Amino acid sequence: MTDHKTSKEQKYDRQLRLWGDHGQEALENAHVCLINATATGTEILKNLVLPGIGAFTIVDGHKVSGEGVGNNFFLTSSSIGKNRAQAATELLQELNSDVSGNFVEESPDKLLDNDPEFFHRFSLVIGVQLPESTCLRLGSVLWDAGVTFLVCRTYGLIGYMRLIVKEHTVIESHPDNALEDLRLDQPFTELKHHIESYDLDSMAKKDHSHTPWIIVVAKYLEKWYSEHNSQLPKNYKEKEAFRQLIREGILTNENGKPEDEENFEEAIKNVNTALNPTKVPSATEDIFNAEQCENITSQSPSFWVMAQGVRDFVRNEGNGKLPVRGTIPDMIADSDKFIKLQNVYRDKAMKDAAVVSKHVEALLQSVGKPPESISEQKIKLFCKNAAFLRVVHCRSLAEEYSMDTFNKDEITSCMDSEMVLYLMLHSVDRFYQQHSRYPGVYNYQVEEDINNLKLCVNSLLQEYSLNVNVKDDYIHEFCRYGAAEPHTVAAFLGGSAAQEAIKIITHQFVPFNNTFLYNAMSQTSATFQL
Amino acid sequence: MEIIFPTMAQLVGPLRKELADSLSSCRVLVVGAGGIGCELLKNLVLTGFKNIEVIDLDTIDVSNLNRQFLFQKKHVGKSKAQVAKESVLRFCPSANITAYHDSIMNPDYNVEFFRNFQLVMNALDNRAARNHVNRMCLAADIPLIESGTAGYLGQVTVIKKGQTECYECQPKPTQKTFPGCTIRNTPSEPIHCIVWAKYLFNQLFGEEDADQEVSPDTADPEVAWNPADAAARATASNKDGDIKRVSTKEWARSTGYDPVKLFNKLFKDDIMYLLTMDKLWKKRKAPLPLDWTEIHQLESSQEEAFGSGLKDQQVLGVQGYAQLFHRSVKTLRSQLIEKGEGAELVWDKDDPPAMDFVTAAANLRMNVFSMNMKSRFDVKSMAGNIIPAIATTNAVIAGLIVLEALKTLNSDFDQCRTIFLNKQPNPRKKLLVPCALDPPNPNCFVCASKPEVTVKLNVHKTIVQALQDKILKEKLGMVAPDVQIEDGKGTILISSEEGETEANNNKFLSDFGIRNGSRLQADDFLQDYTLLVNLIHSEELEKDVEFEVVGDAPDKAPAPNVPEEGKNIANGNKDSAQPSTSSKAAAEDDDVLIVDSDEEPSSSTMETSPESSNRKRKHHDADTDDAASKRKRLDQQPADDDEDIIALD
Repeated sequence: MTDHKTSKEQKYDRQLRLWGDHGQEALENAHVCLINATATGTEILKNLVLPGIGAFTIVDGHKVSGEGVGNNFFLTSSSIGKNRAQAATELLQELNSDVSGNFVEESPDKLLDNDPEFFHRFSLVIGVQLPESTCLRLGSVLWDAGVTFLVCRTYGLIGYMRLIVKEHTVIESHPDNALEDLRLDQPFTELKHHIESYDLDSMAKKDHSHTPWIIVVAKYLEKWYSEHNSQLPKNYKEKEAFRQLIREGILTNENGKPEDEENFEEAIKNVNTALNPTKVPSATEDIFNAEQCENITSQSPSFWVMAQGVRDFVRNEGNGKLPVRGTIPDMIADSDKFIKLQNVYRDKAMKDAAVVSKHVEALLQSVGKPPESISEQKIKLFCKNAAFLRVVHCRSLAEEYSMDTFNKDEITSCMDSEMVLYLMLHSVDRFYQQHSRYPGVYNYQVEEDINNLKLCVNSLLQEYSLNVNVKDDYIHEFCRYGAAEPHTVAAFLGGSAAQEAIKIITHQFVPFNNTFLYNAMSQTSATFQL
Repeated sequence: MEIIFPTMAQLVGPLRKELADSLSSCRVLVVGAGGIGCELLKNLVLTGFKNIEVIDLDTIDVSNLNRQFLFQKKHVGKSKAQVAKESVLRFCPSANITAYHDSIMNPDYNVEFFRNFQLVMNALDNRAARNHVNRMCLAADIPLIESGTAGYLGQVTVIKKGQTECYECQPKPTQKTFPGCTIRNTPSEPIHCIVWAKYLFNQLFGEEDADQEVSPDTADPEVAWNPADAAARATASNKDGDIKRVSTKEWARSTGYDPVKLFNKLFKDDIMYLLTMDKLWKKRKAPLPLDWTEIHQLESSQEEAFGSGLKDQQVLGVQGYAQLFHRSVKTLRSQLIEKGEGAELVWDKDDPPAMDFVTAAANLRMNVFSMNMKSRFDVKSMAGNIIPAIATTNAVIAGLIVLEALKTLNSDFDQCRTIFLNKQPNPRKKLLVPCALDPPNPNCFVCASKPEVTVKLNVHKTIVQALQDKILKEKLGMVAPDVQIEDGKGTILISSEEGETEANNNKFLSDFGIRNGSRLQADDFLQDYTLLVNLIHSEELEKDVEFEVVGDAPDKAPAPNVPEEGKNIANGNKDSAQPSTSSKAAAEDDDVLIVDSDEEPSSSTMETSPESSNRKRKHHDADTDDAASKRKRLDQQPADDDEDIIALD
């Protein structure tokens, strides 16, 4: 067992460095459903099987065709005529023996007719190359069941993804440029005491130059307060003056020249960010004020239970502040001083998290759930990331398609970018509805199809009263595509879609919201909210 | 059964028929069969390419399996190129694939070889090989598609002689090396201790290398010569074999690799000896020697492990690392004995005892020098220059490569792009940032019509060997240079033929009449490349700097006490910070492009492109402060703990 664990650690070493062992655990507990094992479908699944999702199920009523073998790495010529779900499962399974592969030889429409609850069991459903009608039907079933739905489509040189999730919560959003949580403007008691234990004036040179910069800033801040009415340095000028104050504290040698004290240099460099006022970020505030946070029931996801726990902490023990994050950046200091300072923050973070735990515990009990249903570790992680929490709400497909709720502003304002491709995809779907095939699939009909597709474009624009212009070039181009699924475009989309799937499954990083379009001709892409 | 290749060919512009035909008849070379390479081979055959040659000198490791999908557990240890070929053929039997388990820098792959192809695609992981392939493609005038990934980031670009910038048109910051005396005497960052521990591994168990000394360096320029000091040092060093004359390995062998004796020599006696060089410790915090017996008397209450999560992510205490040192020395000793007389071990980050040894030795040294210790996981990142790598990014990049390849084969170079893949859509909602290709830099020392470069050095202190190894090979990327002095007589200074000029190796340049303003002509026949080297004599190079290439990217001198975590590790990521694997350096890491994904945006491509604001800002940050390394650090941050970082520049 341990052996197996170590070999997994080795196999997954390079990705554990991105999403950690709990991210990996989430992947290993996930069951992903793929509808249609086309090239795009198997490429997505390949990129999920390799990093080790727990299980997949392919739903596909198609048989393997010669063309399919030509653009799909996971179908071989010997499988022609076999069911595509089965053939692809066999080969995808080979990629990773830790993953359980299953298949259902049935079309999604049949399943929706006979057993719509079939889809409720999955962590994520990925629908590939689906006709519009199936997409909308499935979308509504999954929306009601609260199952995340990722729609993917390769259409000639165009890639398309649409994410449909009512509510997706992210604890670890991994923000760029996050500020440290140092509380220098409002030091907590233990930090105050720790700062008081230092006396920069009576220190030996070695200690002076190995005092962590956080202490240095805190010390000079006291000095600053005494001269400035206890106000933080606010604007550039004041901060510059504050830097100068610190600079003057650098020891000098016998000739009066300043010594090399890199901890002071660090302090000066960090003044700007270190003095940022401690406050609850607006995104977190929004989460506190959300209805889901207010009304906790026994059905509430743990995210919201913990959110209320933290909210109660902020409103009571925290005096308006989030739990202390408990980490400090690396800095010039000797080990002893650094570790002591680190422990001050760490201990406070533990204490705060323990208080939050109490709130969470009480909350769980009040809705009749066992207190251990949310682990201590999870609460700690939540507290540590309290400033970075995110909730993503995507609109449903029904809202996107409905005359009353479609996002006209977004469409009309983005027509100079990839938005036109979105309208074209809608138009070919309309063509499909009328002709039961996509335009341009037969060479001899191309001319005729161009005219028909043009009619589809116009009726679409008219129906939605969209006063925009779609150039004929696009109509020609989309006819030329003949609904083909070129492998490299599928490979690109396979990478992108799997990446989003991993974000969704691990609840780390923020997924796109809600439509992604890729143009392989110009190598451009864009995201829209539709 | 005939396989129908579908519609890619129809789709690419008006030349569809010609292009479709050319796909099945053209020959392409894929250099590297790692993360990008596997994806690329699949994409090529499924797009209709028939004749593919692939080369990789690496063998398959377990840690490849999370993304290099052509390999399975049963293939571990086998040739990547060979297995990749076999796997692809299983799926696409009609393809015609040739595999080479070899280094692309081997002279067999000469300009003639490169001319066999219509297109070369790099899927490499190191700059030396990228430089070399760049030159070979320039010499053969074959278009090259260059690519790389690092974590969630990736990049693809197209290089065509005379039309676009070549891989070396824009100077890239040099890969950082550490001054010997920082490693041996005055480490100030964890990476210094890790490099020391890797040197130590080679000194004890591997191939000894004079450039990898680990014992105190008495020639440290900071230590002024003074007879009293010398006497003190002599007494200090007499305890356990004279540090100066007996090699570390001989000494270790004479003790039978006794772990306790080794421990006391490395972490007590050598440190006490260092303490006698008191000038070093006037401004620095002095190291604190460790004694085997004493640390075992310590209360073990302090030995509580820090950190949670994986076992590897915990930081053990001094005692824990002393025990780990003891255990790993014993294991390595028996490995050495098993291998027989004169055998050597090769350090490998994925070999557990070797990794344990470096983790233990590095942490003990960090403790001696009052640094915060690091978990095995972190040490592995730094020691192995590990860059996180995932299937999804490689898939995206390999998809982009083939699309650029099709445009290249169609000679649509003006349609080709450099494409950057972001971690998430940028503020302009772009996940992909395409940029037009720049024309060649007329002053490029590689692709200009008469390449020239100016090097500043001290002709009285630089020996011929250093000119060859450090300047021409390492810095200027030549493989087997011939050098003659332009002194009117054509004096041959260096010959690539073995045995012809070895006698010159240890002579100073000034011994050959080389002085300020001298010019050397350096030829590399393999690369079909001639470079004129202008020498400037200088007595005023910075400490520990042997030479400078004029007009090179501004090297920040290795700052002695750079505090930022991200930066520390960034150092560790450079090829040359991992000297103990010199023989394998080219294959050291996976499919990753260390240098490009974040450095190339500095090229003029980025300056002129309106799309580039995001990247440009990033680079700007890197110049002004450390926000960039911070950002990278955040990019890469494994969720669990703020200290688990892998930076990537």
